[in-house]
Amino acid sequence: MTAVQLKGVRKSFGTFTAISKIDLDIKSGELVALLGPSGCGKTTTLRMIAGLEIPTDGQILFDKKDVSETAVQKRNVGMVFQRYALFPHMTVEKNVLFGLKVRGTDKAEMAQRLEDILEVVQLQQFRHRFPAQLSGGQMQRVAIARTLITNPSVLMMDEPLANLDTKLRGEMRRFIRDLQQRLGITTIFVTHDQIEAMELADRVAVIFDGNLAQYAAPDALYQQPNSIEIADFMGATNVFEAAITGKSATTAFGALSFATKAADGPAHVMLRGEAIDLHLTEPSGVQNQMQGQVTAREFFGANITYSVDCKGVRIQVTEQSRRMVDVGQDVWLTIPPDRIWIIQK
Amino acid sequence: MSKTKELARHKRERTWMWIQLMPVMLVLTVLFGGALVLGVAQSLGFAPWFGVNTFPDFSYFAALWGDSFFWKSLGLTLYYAVAATLISLVLGILLALALVRTFPSKAFYKYLYKLPLMIPYTVGIALAVIMLGNGGMLSRLMAFTGFIDDPNQFPQILKTHMGWGIIAVYVWKQTPFVALTIYAVLLGVGRETEEAAAILGANKRQIFFQVTLPQILPGIISSTLIIFAFNIGAFEAPFILGGGFPDTLPVVAWRYFNDADYTLQLQGMATVVSIALVAGVILYSYLAFYRRYERRIGRS
Repeated sequence: MTAVQLKGVRKSFGTFTAISKIDLDIKSGELVALLGPSGCGKTTTLRMIAGLEIPTDGQILFDKKDVSETAVQKRNVGMVFQRYALFPHMTVEKNVLFGLKVRGTDKAEMAQRLEDILEVVQLQQFRHRFPAQLSGGQMQRVAIARTLITNPSVLMMDEPLANLDTKLRGEMRRFIRDLQQRLGITTIFVTHDQIEAMELADRVAVIFDGNLAQYAAPDALYQQPNSIEIADFMGATNVFEAAITGKSATTAFGALSFATKAADGPAHVMLRGEAIDLHLTEPSGVQNQMQGQVTAREFFGANITYSVDCKGVRIQVTEQSRRMVDVGQDVWLTIPPDRIWIIQK
Repeated sequence: MSKTKELARHKRERTWMWIQLMPVMLVLTVLFGGALVLGVAQSLGFAPWFGVNTFPDFSYFAALWGDSFFWKSLGLTLYYAVAATLISLVLGILLALALVRTFPSKAFYKYLYKLPLMIPYTVGIALAVIMLGNGGMLSRLMAFTGFIDDPNQFPQILKTHMGWGIIAVYVWKQTPFVALTIYAVLLGVGRETEEAAAILGANKRQIFFQVTLPQILPGIISSTLIIFAFNIGAFEAPFILGGGFPDTLPVVAWRYFNDADYTLQLQGMATVVSIALVAGVILYSYLAFYRRYERRIGRS
């Protein structure tokens, strides 16, 4: 297991700066997701850690040893590509053994490790097939097996689930998480899907425009984003202007009490839709009440999202679809103070 | 839609397809197929317009194949064709591999390397004479810089059976063609498999031979088939830059066709058919060998 550190890493391609400056600390055995929109620099960061790109400035450290200039072949890292990058002219067996073969591993050891890894990824019966004869999920597992058989100190994955259908993506997520936890290998995972990042990662590094915008555990990132951009990227729909005084936020739809620390002055208040309770009668003795009217209803199967108009402000409320509240119904919304997050301006 | 209507529509579509194919079929059948049949018939003694009709008569092939100079000519023809094809292939692959990398002024080089493709062979031959001849630029430059005392001392490159001039012209013209074909294949393949191999620990040599080469093989096969077929049948370069008797087979055929004795055209046609047979056997074997390899790697 290997700890990975990025210290002031910058990467430019001619006049274009892909990464402005990134500092990142990845603990040994941790699974970290690099999350961000397309073109933000997350893949470039991953490629620099792998050794496929050399940083223009800064250092990349593996267990405190500088590997910034170390050739890709000598870093002992593993990478799973978005389009798998399997060798199309080799069978599953030959693809998986490639890394050991080029390193001159003993034949008996190669055979033993092949059996072990094929069992891990459950591909024994496909060993003589070529990549073109496999499904997307099977190709993905071959790519993982081909990487893991070399015992890499760091495993990297560049949007490995992007080409899979929804059902298979869920299965592969669980498979990758189980495998990573079983092997305890330091893993860096690139994705633009926040759900994927939250489900898989121990910590998520959000990258915007070549800068590290926030690096935190998934729940912290979801509940406590440090900017409106991150809140928006993480799917927050209820972000409103507010004036902070003490522990109270004055908004267009009323004053809200909150529990978190915040400085007085203008700010944004974020209310997660699922943290808001929707009542059909006026509740008593509950803090942070807002009266409104349901203006729209979206049914998502397990959940329903209601749009509620509170003094001209649209607030979205998500709840489990155990009931259906009609559009036009008068309702009362409440939210506990500890579920309100303040984003300072 | 009823079944009858469906059948009628299908019939109309088939008829339209045949009408569209007709011009190509006519050219292939009449011009190419007809000429091929007539050429073979002529090589077997069918030429009533010259007052010769001994069909089927294998004596023209017997006379040709029984002459030791035919085999020398065949050897020269194959030597020029194979040497030029191999050199163009190696240089073309290196050029294509360089072109997929990023380097300064890449856009300019991408136009520059294609230049010989737009220049006719005859101009290339003229350039070879101007540059490589004993009174040419290179010999004068070497005399001027003191490497040799006189341009006449410059080693003979043109008009020798070593065929340096012929090979140089072929390579000059065909390297960009090979590079263009393989560059297109490389762009399709992308860099990910090479990068995956590097991450797995492969060095540059292992990456090229075990990962890149098998993937660009279709481009190599198609480009070498085309340039070899051209080289084996090419006439102008060996005629102008060759070492004289014994000539390559296309030049031998031309000499027969150009002879005052019209009946020697049958011998010339036997030479042409021999070239076609040799080229056909070589190219068929090459393709069969490649198909076997393709099946072995699951690309059937």
